[in-house]
Amino acid sequence: MDESPQHADWRRWLEDQAPKFLLFARQQARCEADAQDLVQEAVVEACRRYHDGEPPPPALVFATIRRRAIDLARSDDRRAGRELAAADPMPVSWFDTSVEDRERNQLLQDAMSRLPEMYRQVLTLKVWGGLTFAEVADTLGIPANTAASRYRYGLIELRKMTKEVLA
Amino acid sequence: MNDCDHELFEAELRKLTPARPPAALMARLVEARPAALDRAPETRESYQPATLSQPSTLNPQPLRWLLMRWLAPVAVAAGLAGLLLGWWPHAAHEQRHVKAVTLPPKLAPKPDEIEIDRQLVGLFDAVAQLPSGEPVRFRCREWTDEVVLRDPAHGLVIERRTPRLEVVPVSLEIF
Repeated sequence: MDESPQHADWRRWLEDQAPKFLLFARQQARCEADAQDLVQEAVVEACRRYHDGEPPPPALVFATIRRRAIDLARSDDRRAGRELAAADPMPVSWFDTSVEDRERNQLLQDAMSRLPEMYRQVLTLKVWGGLTFAEVADTLGIPANTAASRYRYGLIELRKMTKEVLA
Repeated sequence: MNDCDHELFEAELRKLTPARPPAALMARLVEARPAALDRAPETRESYQPATLSQPSTLNPQPLRWLLMRWLAPVAVAAGLAGLLLGWWPHAAHEQRHVKAVTLPPKLAPKPDEIEIDRQLVGLFDAVAQLPSGEPVRFRCREWTDEVVLRDPAHGLVIERRTPRLEVVPVSLEIF
């Protein structure tokens, strides 16, 4: 069955943006299933709130993912500890991995997961989310100068951690 | 670490591309395309980026409606003033009329303090089955959207609370 032009645009937009949204959501959620749910819920909510006949701006989706992750964490706190312990410990790869780069990417992912959250969020949104500092600031609810300085410190920290694998 | 190092390192990082979502998630996202996207753009409002300190998911309708409640009487009063000024033949009478018609806006409340908030009231999951037999989970959230307008000069407080139910279908994890 042929797709309508709107559906084709929607699919193209998703193929371009969904990997970025999922990368951010994986860093916000406690397990992969929650990360995927966060992406779906945030995309749907952002579309509902954005009134332009087009898919919503990525910054709005990132902000919605973050807000929903906070809500989810609050509700998760009510879950039994046993249930949380059983959640899968995110065994997925955050980045596309070709065979030769697999080890390198894994090291970077490990380093990213050890980075303080405030740096990791800014780095992810700026480097892989493609947002401007103003958009990063809006998404995280911080001043733009703070976003810029966290980005700089985050790069320095990450560089220290990955000195041997990245330039 | 100098600026040049910064840029080189950034370029290295940018070479990495975020992993493609699993096919199942992509299928869910494609299916989740909201019908709202099919509406004509001119019937929609423009998006204003918001932060956490300014709750952004609040339905703008009640706020707009409340603001219109004040704007409409002021606009009508201003229109009447214009008409009366144009028709009144004598300057003395004009002045009297100007005084008479400018009073309502002065007396009208000025809601300088507007608070917008939302509260998560409840959260629950429901499960249904598609005709194909596939189970679907519905994540349901109950919210209360609240708008408060205050005019301390007139001792006026207007509160409006709107309950909202948010239902999002998500795939059911099968262990």
